[in-house]
Amino acid sequence: MLRFIARRILIAIPTIIIVSVLVFTLQQLLPGDPVLTMAGEERDPQVLAFLREKYRLDDPIPLQYFAWIGQVLQGNLGISLRTDIPVLTLILGKLPVTLELAIFAMIIALAIGIPAGVISAVRKGTAVDYAANVVALSGLSIPNFWLGILLIMLVSVRWQLLPASGFVPPSEDLWLNIKTMIMPAFVLGTGLAASLMRHTRSAMLGVLRSDYIRTARAKGLLSRVIILKHALRNALIPIITLSTLLFGELLAGAVLTEQIFTIPGFGKLVVDAVFNRDYAVVQGVVLCTAVGFIVMNLLADVLYVLVNPRLRHAQ
Amino acid sequence: MTRTQALRSSEDRLHQAQGAPSLLRVENLSVRFDGSPDDVNVVDHVSFSVEKGKTLCIVGESGCGKSVTALALMGLLPTPPARIVAGRALFAGQDLLALPERQRADMRGNQTAMIFQEPMTSLNPVFTVGDQITEGILRHRAISKAAATERALEMLRRVRIPAPEKRMRAYPHELSGGMRQRVMIAMALANEPQLLIADEPTTALDVTIQAQIIALIRQLQAESGMAMILITHDLGVVAEVADEVVVMYAGRVVERGAVDDIFADPQHPYTIGLMGSVPSLGRRQGALTTIPGTVPPAELMPRGCRFSPRCPFADQRCVSDPPPLVEIAPAHDARCWYAPLELHREVLR
Repeated sequence: MLRFIARRILIAIPTIIIVSVLVFTLQQLLPGDPVLTMAGEERDPQVLAFLREKYRLDDPIPLQYFAWIGQVLQGNLGISLRTDIPVLTLILGKLPVTLELAIFAMIIALAIGIPAGVISAVRKGTAVDYAANVVALSGLSIPNFWLGILLIMLVSVRWQLLPASGFVPPSEDLWLNIKTMIMPAFVLGTGLAASLMRHTRSAMLGVLRSDYIRTARAKGLLSRVIILKHALRNALIPIITLSTLLFGELLAGAVLTEQIFTIPGFGKLVVDAVFNRDYAVVQGVVLCTAVGFIVMNLLADVLYVLVNPRLRHAQ
Repeated sequence: MTRTQALRSSEDRLHQAQGAPSLLRVENLSVRFDGSPDDVNVVDHVSFSVEKGKTLCIVGESGCGKSVTALALMGLLPTPPARIVAGRALFAGQDLLALPERQRADMRGNQTAMIFQEPMTSLNPVFTVGDQITEGILRHRAISKAAATERALEMLRRVRIPAPEKRMRAYPHELSGGMRQRVMIAMALANEPQLLIADEPTTALDVTIQAQIIALIRQLQAESGMAMILITHDLGVVAEVADEVVVMYAGRVVERGAVDDIFADPQHPYTIGLMGSVPSLGRRQGALTTIPGTVPPAELMPRGCRFSPRCPFADQRCVSDPPPLVEIAPAHDARCWYAPLELHREVLR
């Protein structure tokens, strides 16, 4: 098992290097000159030249890459061109927010998606199944921003139940923090719940047809035990992988949702940075989320082996 | 007494025999699949009985309704699409088919047990062998987990699995097909059922393993005194283990009787065809006989005798009128207009 994990980590390293190169070069392809943005109204050539020199923007691109990656490996993601705050500080400031939102959204997605998938598989072809499918399809096709705006209109403006937007750190006011998180987490979670539900349903349907379920019934086991132990345990194998990958996507930040609810997470950070041509911040955030996603991938692989005895022993 | 005098509805005889101590008596079991034509049952008025401690073999080619019959008796039919449309199955005086699901579940794996054709896929891949046997014991017996584990271990010993302590912790994929079928047997017999239904338990196994598994099942049967319904298309196995034989074709019983009578004096053309397709060491006379054609699909099922399209003796009556199952000799029934064959030499020549 340890050897398997070690091998997977070794495979992840080249991926991360390629990602870092991609992040860096894509950034170079973006139109617009950061120096002009920084200088603002002032177009004094001397100032521009000074800024180019300071941020080494005149060096050949490969040199710029190595300079950047060398610093990155030392934990220095550079300094925001816009605010002069170290990128790492910015990221570490946003990380808890995005992480909290991602965890809440994932809990909501799992709590809705898996039971709904199991029920609609067990009650296949009944009204319950059709209802669950219609809801899931709506969940998949309703855009997050629209659902978000609708929720703000109803829950916040009309019923005045929850704050419409903003973020309060849990250290300040835990209850208010949860209240501000409920709607955005719900918006993100329901979208994922729909895809989890569809996958759980099809995995359960496949498993319920299998010979070992018939064996379990032949033993006289009760339906509850057959469904929740024998069937779900097998159906969850692909679902665990899917959930891990979905969680990785959540970590990358939810640009639209964070904008709508003005939550200061990764999504908002990266959008603001792109608009301001804040290269260092964009690079840092994209690199972090890419690495985060690769790590979640790695975790998905390891979990897949852990929950699947056939693979566990093959390693 | 000639055979004609013995002609009489076998269903009558079945009813007269109601006082007999049959462990299981199946009467007119009929199963239909949703979507198939209304008048075509995949299992059609099947009747037979199993005596305590005896072995009944159900024989027939793939798709003849053997497995559907077995699954119906166990309450394991996938519903939908399968539906039991008629019949009774009296087990120790109770009609299994009329019991509520909860009571059927209480009997499954307890008084009645079943092993299947596919040992490779019949065990849950994510639980250990020990877990899967223990679970069935705990379901039906009020004993401690430790006692159940001990019982599971004993069952593994009884089915001759080497190093049983180690195997308890093994996952199914770590065992060969033959070993997995032994585990299935251990699981099925753990609660000492009175009736074991074995649905082609050796079909998926290597030939050498087949003989071992059959020998094991017979030995365990002798030790426990349970009755068995063995579904097979291997007539060699039938000759070896059966007391009674039921031959099925396209969902109907075409012949039924004691094993010696069926082998010595087969009366239905289908049974005769089956015997002809078994290689024998005794006489080697040219090619093995085959029965031409295949079992007709439900929508093309003949109105008369279901075997008529493939029967070398079929005439107009066979095509239009279904023959009844009649007793053509004591305790020997056949469903053929020309049975007993001795009376119809001129046709059959």
